[in-house]
Amino acid sequence: MKNTLRQVFHSGKFVAGFCIFAFILLMMIIYPLINPGNPLERIGVGTFAKPGTYVSLYDTVDTETETFKLADADDKRLAKILSDSDRVSMVEWLTQAEVDLTGVSMNDTEKLLDLWHANYDDSIRLKGMTKAQRNYYVRLNNSLNNASKADTLTVTDVDPDTNEVVEKTKIQKTDYVNVGDVANTKTLPLGTDNFGRDVLKELVSACGTSIMIGLIAGLVATFIGLLLGLLAGYLGGVADDIIMFITNIFTVIPSFVLLILISYSLGQDQRGATTVAIVIGLTSWVWTTRSVRSQVISLRNRDHVNLSKLSGHSLMRIIMTDILPYIASYVVMAFILQVSSGILAEAQLSLLGLGPKTTEVPTLGLMMNWAMLYSAHLNGSWWAYFPVILTIAGISFSMNLMNTGLDQVFNPTLRD
Amino acid sequence: MNTRKLVSLVIALAMVMTMCLSASAETVTELPRNESLYFAGQQWGAVATWNPIGVNQNNAMACTAQAIGSRTLMFETLYMYNFMDGSMTPLLADGDYAWNDGMTEMTVKLNKAAKWSDGTAITSADVVATWDIANKIGNGTATNYAAFISAIEAVDDNTILIKSALTEAGAPVNPLKVVEFLGNAFIVQKAWIETVAARNNDDATAILNDKADDVVWSGPYTKYISNDQQVVLIRDDNYWGQDASMWGKLPVPKYIVHTIFADNAAGETALKAGEIDVCQQFIGNIQDLWLKDGLPISTYMEEAPYQVCLTMPTAFFNQNIAACQNVTLRKAIALAVDYDSIIANAMTNQSPTFTDVPRSLMNPTEGEQALYDHDAVKDLQWAGNDIEGAIKLLDEAGIVDTDGDGWRELDGEKITLNACCPNGWTDWQASMEIVADAGKNIGVDITTLYPEWSVYQTVFTNPSQTEYAIFMYSPDGAGPAQPWGRIRQFMGGDLVGVENNWTGNWGQYTNARADEILAAIPVTTDEAELKALYTEAVEIYLTEVPSFSLMYRPAVFHEVNESVWTNYPDATDGRNIPPADCTDGYGIAALYELELVNP
Repeated sequence: MKNTLRQVFHSGKFVAGFCIFAFILLMMIIYPLINPGNPLERIGVGTFAKPGTYVSLYDTVDTETETFKLADADDKRLAKILSDSDRVSMVEWLTQAEVDLTGVSMNDTEKLLDLWHANYDDSIRLKGMTKAQRNYYVRLNNSLNNASKADTLTVTDVDPDTNEVVEKTKIQKTDYVNVGDVANTKTLPLGTDNFGRDVLKELVSACGTSIMIGLIAGLVATFIGLLLGLLAGYLGGVADDIIMFITNIFTVIPSFVLLILISYSLGQDQRGATTVAIVIGLTSWVWTTRSVRSQVISLRNRDHVNLSKLSGHSLMRIIMTDILPYIASYVVMAFILQVSSGILAEAQLSLLGLGPKTTEVPTLGLMMNWAMLYSAHLNGSWWAYFPVILTIAGISFSMNLMNTGLDQVFNPTLRD
Repeated sequence: MNTRKLVSLVIALAMVMTMCLSASAETVTELPRNESLYFAGQQWGAVATWNPIGVNQNNAMACTAQAIGSRTLMFETLYMYNFMDGSMTPLLADGDYAWNDGMTEMTVKLNKAAKWSDGTAITSADVVATWDIANKIGNGTATNYAAFISAIEAVDDNTILIKSALTEAGAPVNPLKVVEFLGNAFIVQKAWIETVAARNNDDATAILNDKADDVVWSGPYTKYISNDQQVVLIRDDNYWGQDASMWGKLPVPKYIVHTIFADNAAGETALKAGEIDVCQQFIGNIQDLWLKDGLPISTYMEEAPYQVCLTMPTAFFNQNIAACQNVTLRKAIALAVDYDSIIANAMTNQSPTFTDVPRSLMNPTEGEQALYDHDAVKDLQWAGNDIEGAIKLLDEAGIVDTDGDGWRELDGEKITLNACCPNGWTDWQASMEIVADAGKNIGVDITTLYPEWSVYQTVFTNPSQTEYAIFMYSPDGAGPAQPWGRIRQFMGGDLVGVENNWTGNWGQYTNARADEILAAIPVTTDEAELKALYTEAVEIYLTEVPSFSLMYRPAVFHEVNESVWTNYPDATDGRNIPPADCTDGYGIAALYELELVNP
């Protein structure tokens, strides 16, 4: 055993795959410790908040400030609301409105703004201007008006006793707060999803569910495949014919179609994560049966098997002690592949809306399903689906790497 | 070997040929872009029939008859309803309609200029024939109005008399529904109706399903191309409405094109690309299209809620399920639901909140809101997410967790409810998720269930179903008969037990007082009295909670891309054209005023 393990860990591919998988598993264990709580809790009220650190605006007002005089602060402030294309649009509007622009350069912000404030009027309807363009100029004008206000911003509050508006504090352009001093900040490394849930937290939890689904599916498929393969291969004859007949029927029916039909007919209220896992397992045992059978056929006429037969050992004992150990490495490899394809199958099913019902647990497929239903791929919310795709790819890639590594160790024809 | 090669080559060639052939059969006809107005979000799947007196036409552009204003591109109604101000603009009619004193008879004059596409005049005989055939074969017009109109008679060639159906006391059942009829029912030519009836041997089912390829129309457009890729209507340049008594001109676009998309995402992509001009789809965070992406797309209003909300998708409690008969439980669930989340999330703020517009039986328009006394029902209102309040209600009513499994029991049995809506209706699904969460927060086990629409529609319209406990549907938006119609949809006892019920009260709720109010409203003319009735209805609704609205929503979404066309209706333009996708009710007026961005 020790020797086998050493051999296995000598394979570069296996080690690479193992490391990726171990990293994912570690994340699943460690992250909930750092960020505990219900992964399905909605923290954001809107949809798809982008990744980053959020600072409570309310709390910053009461936070102690430092004064910094940064030379480029004003420019940055302006650049945030007045992009180069905005400048072009402003010049276009002024030209259309027949304002004299001679001697005004596009980069001469001060002059441009002066001209703009002097001439812009949202009641002017320029010829050929669409509603969308008019709205754009109104928005631009509003943000320019807001930005060019004085150096101080006054925060006011309503006195609950007198209902009078009282000044609460003044904020200078040069006031800065240390993020560490603000009472409430929230870091969302992967933003929020369509329900306003923390994507990273959900992803870590979904990873666990999906691996669990993969394991159950893999166990079911491997168990059925192994059992039927062993029986068919060892018994031969009529038993082999019957088992292979059934297996062949399942081979020609695409298993994914079968999977869709079963999931659909189960109905959504019956589809828990475990049920889906079992259904996936029940539809993917076919090729394990076929390959186990062919391995067993090549084993069953070996001398040590014949010797056991002559010694009068039971069928069970022969299979368990004389055949199974010889194909064990193969079965383990098949199992790993079954797990990885089980995870993929769940993702595919959920993407079609046939996955586990949604309120109970997050799965990788369900996360993708909701992201797609909310058009995350159209509105640029990559954080809602891309990390999920990467995770699925990571899991199945690591498993396939481990499988190839094991193959190199155990398959004599591939051995160096 | 060579023969094999040859055979495979031939087969490959044959396959390529078949692909080319089938592809050419499906080619989308190229139309001049600056003469065509492209639509999305109305038509799904290929058109079935062009039959204005039929059923199941699946023909959104030509045969959509609805209370918020029928789509009068090909067939026309007597009046055009404007849901912005509730006004009725004459279309086939001439001038305003006139009631007699008891509102038992209404006189409508027809426009003498109105002509059918075959050049014959539109007369009272056509209106009478339309009403008669509707009742004979039982189409949508009959289902909606037979209870409210007893007969339509011709006074002379251009004058018709519509008689209200009367109660036993001799009062009209509901004059509001008679007014609604004017803007809803398509008027169809008598001669054509006779042809259809004759060729189907007067068989009702056959007439309802007649393909009607030879149909005679009166509207500004007619059918041009129709397949599973697109539906194209072409302008009828002989349209009678050019007459100075109507529009005085033809609508601007020569072609009305509806591309048939597989799903909302495809339609949204096409709208963004400028391939679609007018889009009737829910698009989440619509403001990002102009704020972030800088696309020339806009809605009716520049600020949230961006659209004119006329209806409120509602979760109904199924009274066939024992737990749902418990008022306290109903109210507790409704209290616990986080509506702000639903509005921010499912509707991406394209709806006013229940703090802006407190819940009632009225839609959020100013007109309907003014109908009831807000202060009188103030204490009954709830804004939602009141977990403590809901828990307190349940605890006080003795609906508690007795066996310690974390879920409450009612009469010794664990309360298990499902929250259902059709699969793929994402904003509704998100709402149901939030309702299920509310259940978890107050210890009531609610799970979500999303059947396919084909299944859903057969279950929720079945009056004895017990499969869905809490399920969603939308009451009607605006219309001349609102909010009476909506009150009936929420609490109308006459709808209980109706098989194949598409009209309303899907939860089978009954309340004797509500029925009395429903009977009284249509015949009450005194405003103070009317207000008292409406207020009482709201009071019953908020106390009894037979259902709870989850958000406000537009009756039609209206998003336009100004890459090719401009001068669409706008909240600030003072033209009073409703944002009804340039097609519905008085919204069609927009078609006459469109302009090209680059003429």
